[in-house]
Amino acid sequence: MTGGLDIDYYDWSGGREAMLCFGPLRPRVLLALPLFEEYNRTRTFAVTLLHMLAGRGIGGMLPDWPGTGESRAPTDQMTLAAIRAAYRALVHDRAPIFAVSIRSGALLDVGAPVVARWHLAPQEGAELVRELERQRSAEGDVAGNVIAALSLAQLAGATVAPARVLRMESDPRPADRKLQGSPIWRRAEPANDRPLAQILADDIADWIATCAA
Amino acid sequence: MQPIRAANLLPEGMTKVEQTVRATLADVLGISAERAADFTATTPLFGALPELDSMAVAGVLTELEDRLAIVIEDDEVDGDMLETFGSLVEFAARKALV
Repeated sequence: MTGGLDIDYYDWSGGREAMLCFGPLRPRVLLALPLFEEYNRTRTFAVTLLHMLAGRGIGGMLPDWPGTGESRAPTDQMTLAAIRAAYRALVHDRAPIFAVSIRSGALLDVGAPVVARWHLAPQEGAELVRELERQRSAEGDVAGNVIAALSLAQLAGATVAPARVLRMESDPRPADRKLQGSPIWRRAEPANDRPLAQILADDIADWIATCAA
Repeated sequence: MQPIRAANLLPEGMTKVEQTVRATLADVLGISAERAADFTATTPLFGALPELDSMAVAGVLTELEDRLAIVIEDDEVDGDMLETFGSLVEFAARKALV
């Protein structure tokens, strides 16, 4: 059902989580959104991107993780280990899967048997923790989420796996491709960016074609 | 705009820092490039821009760290540094251009 949108479920050792599914079953990407505050700032953009990929014949999955979205697991029990376990279970169950992530979503595909990885502005765990601590000192907690101390300790040492990396032009760190425009995950108010989503959809489609070749 | 002065800084480095601070504010606050281009050294920031709440301040500081390859400690962050566009540029320049 190219261009369509369905709600599906997947099981992992800790329970069952919901996910949005777009387009065909093959080839298919699993899109991992950033954790915490940036999740809300990028979700609309991610759905736009997945619709565009479906229009290019590429399916997509946008899952909830344990402790996020519609999950029954309490938010304060959300840990990186639990989310990585859920990620692995989902990839194992629906293989072959291409990993696509935004920001700290790149932390989730580590150790998962994906075909290949594509990261937009990946954020290492130490950078994420530093930012969380800065937000926490400003707000008391982060956007209403109480972050488990265990989760923070895990996050602080978490690194990302090698991938095709895209970054905004304003980001001086190395990347396979630099993008014009504004980083939507930084917006204080959530926004969308359809022109950027078009560019990324084309890049992902080319990347998948290269991996398949 | 009015010149922003900090001791012992190269003018071209200062211009780059100022452009970076301007672009970062526009990106984080979601304001237009035109509006950001009107910021002068005396344009008030914290308390004057409704978009610049405490979460947005955290975003501005983190993004400035990334873009300028600097580290900003929490105890360096105070009302003076965020009072005007000029004071924020000067703070960033002292960090970036040493």
